[in-house]
Amino acid sequence: MTRLGRTSVWPGICLAAGLLLVCLVLSLVLGPASLSLSQLWHFVTTGPVSGDLENAIFWQIRMPRVLLACLVGAELAVAGVILQDLFLNPLTDPYVTGVSSGAALGATIGIVLHWSGLPWTTMLALVGGLATLGIVWMAARRRGRIDIFVLLLAGVTISYLASAMVTVLMIQCNQDMRAIVYWLMGSFSGRGWGEVQVALVAVPFMILPLFFTREMDIMLQGEKRALELGVEVERTKRLLLVTAGVLTAIAVSVCGIIGFVGLVVPHIVRLVVGPSHRSLLPVSLLGGAALLGIADLLSRTVIAPNEIPVGVVTTFVGAPLFVYLLRRGRKS
Amino acid sequence: MSTTRARRLTAALLLLAAIVLGATALSACGSGGTSDTSASPSARPISVTDGSGQTVTLTQPAARIVSLAPANTEIAFAVGAGDKVVAGTSYDDYPAAAKSLPKVGDFSTPSVEKIASFNPDLVLAAGGVQAGLRSKLEKLGMKVYVVDPTTYAGVMTDIANVGKLAGTSAQAQKVVDSMQQALTDVRAKAGSAARKSTFVEIYSKPLMTAGTGTFISDMVDIAGGTNLGDSAGKGFPNFSSEVLLKDDPAVYIADSGSMSKPGELSSRPGFSALTAVKDGHVYVIDDNIIARPGPRLAQGLQQLARMIHPEAYATQ
Repeated sequence: MTRLGRTSVWPGICLAAGLLLVCLVLSLVLGPASLSLSQLWHFVTTGPVSGDLENAIFWQIRMPRVLLACLVGAELAVAGVILQDLFLNPLTDPYVTGVSSGAALGATIGIVLHWSGLPWTTMLALVGGLATLGIVWMAARRRGRIDIFVLLLAGVTISYLASAMVTVLMIQCNQDMRAIVYWLMGSFSGRGWGEVQVALVAVPFMILPLFFTREMDIMLQGEKRALELGVEVERTKRLLLVTAGVLTAIAVSVCGIIGFVGLVVPHIVRLVVGPSHRSLLPVSLLGGAALLGIADLLSRTVIAPNEIPVGVVTTFVGAPLFVYLLRRGRKS
Repeated sequence: MSTTRARRLTAALLLLAAIVLGATALSACGSGGTSDTSASPSARPISVTDGSGQTVTLTQPAARIVSLAPANTEIAFAVGAGDKVVAGTSYDDYPAAAKSLPKVGDFSTPSVEKIASFNPDLVLAAGGVQAGLRSKLEKLGMKVYVVDPTTYAGVMTDIANVGKLAGTSAQAQKVVDSMQQALTDVRAKAGSAARKSTFVEIYSKPLMTAGTGTFISDMVDIAGGTNLGDSAGKGFPNFSSEVLLKDDPAVYIADSGSMSKPGELSSRPGFSALTAVKDGHVYVIDDNIIARPGPRLAQGLQQLARMIHPEAYATQ
């Protein structure tokens, strides 16, 4: 089952890429001010024009938002695949390492400080997430190797600690409570090109694990077996952990904590293309992007001019799909 | 040894439980008793109906008022019942005397126990987050008037009612008259002018506005604007920035509680293309005079009219 033929990788990738393309076009066309396909072509070819409202809606609001949703979806899905493998636990999502809670604490500090000039909320969230990764890392390092279980426990503990501090800040700075709560729920509302730039930093980290698919396949059989088979377990583990941590930190810092994507996309993709990382990783990347893109499209159109938090939509879209695939997978 | 100890412990716990139960029963009887004795009709009972349609009846003017919202405290002080307010919430800041009042908690989570400890004969509550509070307080035998107006006129009615309940109707009427005066002035200035589409920002992250059924929407209407937020539904809904750009309001008014600064608005994605931003019709209004349903709404209404129709005030 783990040995899929070399030719069988591309159909899955092409299918996922096609899905993502359809999702991109739909997301760019549909919205409170819907466009026709020819209008879409017109806006894409003319590029941003200042002063024109329709152009501003397309280039300043919709385009960055759609790109951001897809980037974050891809980041969370890849991080989810990596961490589920490392922890050998199907319930793992990118947030178990505590990185998201650290980012939440950073973002909360950014919100209550009300500093202007720079996007402090995003920057402090990134700092908080990466700092948490560092702390968890140090806690889990013993005699030169990383103990995955200590890492998990340290992550959960730091998660609770950071959440408690967020709660204290929420109560202390009551007037910012709403902003903090909405940040924690996760949303792409009001995000622009600045956030897209931050999310783009993660692209190399999404591509990096694609070079370690063989090691990841072998490590699924446990660290000991992997060692026997000649995998440099510690080095690979470190590299993958940092990659997943950075991906999560970047994703959370630009849009808050969006649940379900990182947990469920890898499972769905495993059910469709199997557990071999040569297809699992790229298909998860594309599928995560498509799922979050569609979820954000629904979040901003279903009850416009209001918006449904995107995390709610990911759950509504993802849960039935997941249950369906689980049942189908069991039958076959 | 250990069994006798355990037995003793059980006995002590049982005793403690009995004491607590007894005390609760006694206190329940006590509160029932006092309300019975005070029923002797020394004066004509005062009866008013609040915005939710519930009638509040007092046998005599309230002498011990607990306010559960900054706006309610303002109303009580404005109608001349400030000396009767025995407790407020932690956000009460106007007038200055309200700051030193004992507090029963904050606006969203006042402590029922603390409220009861002041033994009030009238509690001025708010709607929204305090919706579930009324029945709890009434079960404890307290009289609750809910100030939850949905229009400017509704605020005037609430002020008059609080005046009646506190026995200070004459002073309350003066407050209502001056609010009526502001209303008449604004209608004369802005009522006949062409309506301008207006967006009121209540909060910036996420973008929130005032929808239908809010006194803010009503005031925008009185001040000669068309409130864009009405399209998003009731209360204080989120508003998509894409729709905002599509609808392109002529006037953009940010409530100061939204934490927005006018200069910062144009740096938000796409906002620099807004007509209101290009023409400089972006304003920040003090949320104390627009978001608090109290007497200072009169100032808020006048400021709104000046922001929406500056040309009507140009001669002054």
